[in-house]
Amino acid sequence: MRRLALALLPCLALAGTACAPVRPWERDVLARPEMAFVPDPLEAKRSDHIYFSKEGSLPGGEAGGGGCGCN
Amino acid sequence: MSARDALARRRSRRRRARRERSRRPRRSARRSAALAALTSGAFALPGLAPAASAQESFGRYSAEYAYSRYSEDPLPKSKVPTGGERDRFEVDMHQMHLGGPLLDRVDLGLDVVHEKMSGASPWYVIQGANGEPLQVMSGATIEEARTDALLEATLLFDRGQASLGGGISSENDYFAWNGSLRGERHFGEKTTTLSGGAGFSIDSIDPVDTDLFPTRPSHEQKWSTSVFGGISQVLSREAALQSTLTYQREQGYLSDPYKQVLVAGNPVPDARPDSRNQLTWLTRLRHHVSPVHGTLQADYRFYADDWQLTSHTLEVAWDQAIFDALHLIPSFRYYSQSQAEFYGPWFDATGDGLHSSDYRLSPYGAIAWKIKAETRFATGSVDWRAAFAWQRYLSSGDYALGKVSVANPGLVSFNLFSVSLTARF
Amino acid sequence: MHFSPRRAACALPLAILLALLATPAAALGPGDPAPAWSAPALAGGDAVSLAAARGKVVYLDFWASWCVPCRTSLPLLEELRREFPPERFAVVAVNVDREPDAGRRFLEKAKVGYPSASDPEGRIPARFGVETMPTSFLIDGSGVIRFVHRGFQKSDVPELRERIAELVGQ
Repeated sequence: MRRLALALLPCLALAGTACAPVRPWERDVLARPEMAFVPDPLEAKRSDHIYFSKEGSLPGGEAGGGGCGCN
Repeated sequence: MSARDALARRRSRRRRARRERSRRPRRSARRSAALAALTSGAFALPGLAPAASAQESFGRYSAEYAYSRYSEDPLPKSKVPTGGERDRFEVDMHQMHLGGPLLDRVDLGLDVVHEKMSGASPWYVIQGANGEPLQVMSGATIEEARTDALLEATLLFDRGQASLGGGISSENDYFAWNGSLRGERHFGEKTTTLSGGAGFSIDSIDPVDTDLFPTRPSHEQKWSTSVFGGISQVLSREAALQSTLTYQREQGYLSDPYKQVLVAGNPVPDARPDSRNQLTWLTRLRHHVSPVHGTLQADYRFYADDWQLTSHTLEVAWDQAIFDALHLIPSFRYYSQSQAEFYGPWFDATGDGLHSSDYRLSPYGAIAWKIKAETRFATGSVDWRAAFAWQRYLSSGDYALGKVSVANPGLVSFNLFSVSLTARF
Repeated sequence: MHFSPRRAACALPLAILLALLATPAAALGPGDPAPAWSAPALAGGDAVSLAAARGKVVYLDFWASWCVPCRTSLPLLEELRREFPPERFAVVAVNVDREPDAGRRFLEKAKVGYPSASDPEGRIPARFGVETMPTSFLIDGSGVIRFVHRGFQKSDVPELRERIAELVGQ
């Protein structure tokens, strides 16, 4: 459990660097393909399948969000 | 002949048969092997395709093709019986995606995967002369193939979207069909997104060569359902975080029909519980660093199930823009899992009747490096993307977070090479 | 382990609460008068202002080069503009690229006949309460907002044509 918390610490630390409100017209960086949670869906499906077949765990992670917020 | 002599003779016959099995490639084992390693994996998840960023593609047509070659390292001589099969698996994988608008605010997407597999895979583990575990492989194989198809319709709403999907997965001894429903809703100025969904899968397996292997089941089924909930939060102009929790339950035949395990010196069928409850917690961070034109992509996944298997995965990638159009993305992945409670390289007694020596349920760790090159360009009104990637994956008992006293001899290492081309218009 | 108050505020559970409670800037809607504004032209030359089109029905479009649906809309809006007499209907655009060069490059390729203002600071969308990209406002001859269109897809054009025709006809 402690190891888990320590592993998450870098995530939270980075998250805390700037939590300022972002207006809809300020999403230029967030709209970049590399900022997507799944930048390459076919690659993600492929990796998920290979690791699922060769390891003992499940992939997880189906949520959306982030990005340019368009449409 | 005395009872003792008869017993001794049966034993020596069994020993001889075992030696012969491990040496001679058998037709049945050939067919089974192709499926063994991927079949348990092909006991597919409810067909949830990863949610791509809707903004890039909604309302536009897209076509994508990717080819990958997966090849496993041969087993080291020290991990197999003398003269035993060492070659492992090779897979040629073709993936295709087609998508486009169907109606006003409704998009349709089709995903097809076709792969050809050949090679040997782990069958059971025996004890060597010095007590070390040795992997007996199932022998060389002819080619096998798997085809998957998934269709998904997405409806766009003012403050969110919903998707309905269905698919099938088919191999010569295996068939599954699946369905899913998921949705997401934006809050604030689309800075917070809540997502949720559920899916199911029904898998049927009809193992081959049951006449040659009477202990092999002839027809089995597995049912799985899963549900997930997630939240995404825009942290700043340059950072976003997403966290998803997924619960999955499987019931039915969960063992591997092509694997065996030594119990009190005799190979018996792989026997796992008939239910499994699984929890996955995945958190993703994306952070762009403007001054260096780079982006950090970090993913952490925690997994635990009621077979006592828990795992941690950390994947860190750095997307570096070289010119506007070229990106280099090196990445590193670390994985560590503990063992399932009924796992062991072999068993001295039957116990509760549950036993498996499958390396995928053993304690071990894995590290992988990957380098990807991606270029984007436009011709007229078509946006193109081409990518090339190479990955090296190694697993070992030494890489695990905890102490592994006896590592499974069948742990896998592989190379994965892939190329892809995408067009959006 | 120390968490600064700022970091704690960014923790996910709190983020949900904050986001749900957050009140976005007052978004202007049908019936509200369109605020006056003036900004330099993206392509250079005379400044662009909403007042210059007073008396005409105006389609005010907010766009950016990084917004894919925005890019789709530019040539389609140009076609729509040509369907109506220029003395009765005008299209005015506001580009919100932080780096105007990116917007300029795209504008050159699109070759539209209507003016685009450059507002890298985002003052104008803030005043209109833009909630998503792209957003456009259909403003009648007396400067009152009659319709707000959020997002953009090719299939939106027939509805827009109808609404413009209705206002231009009046």
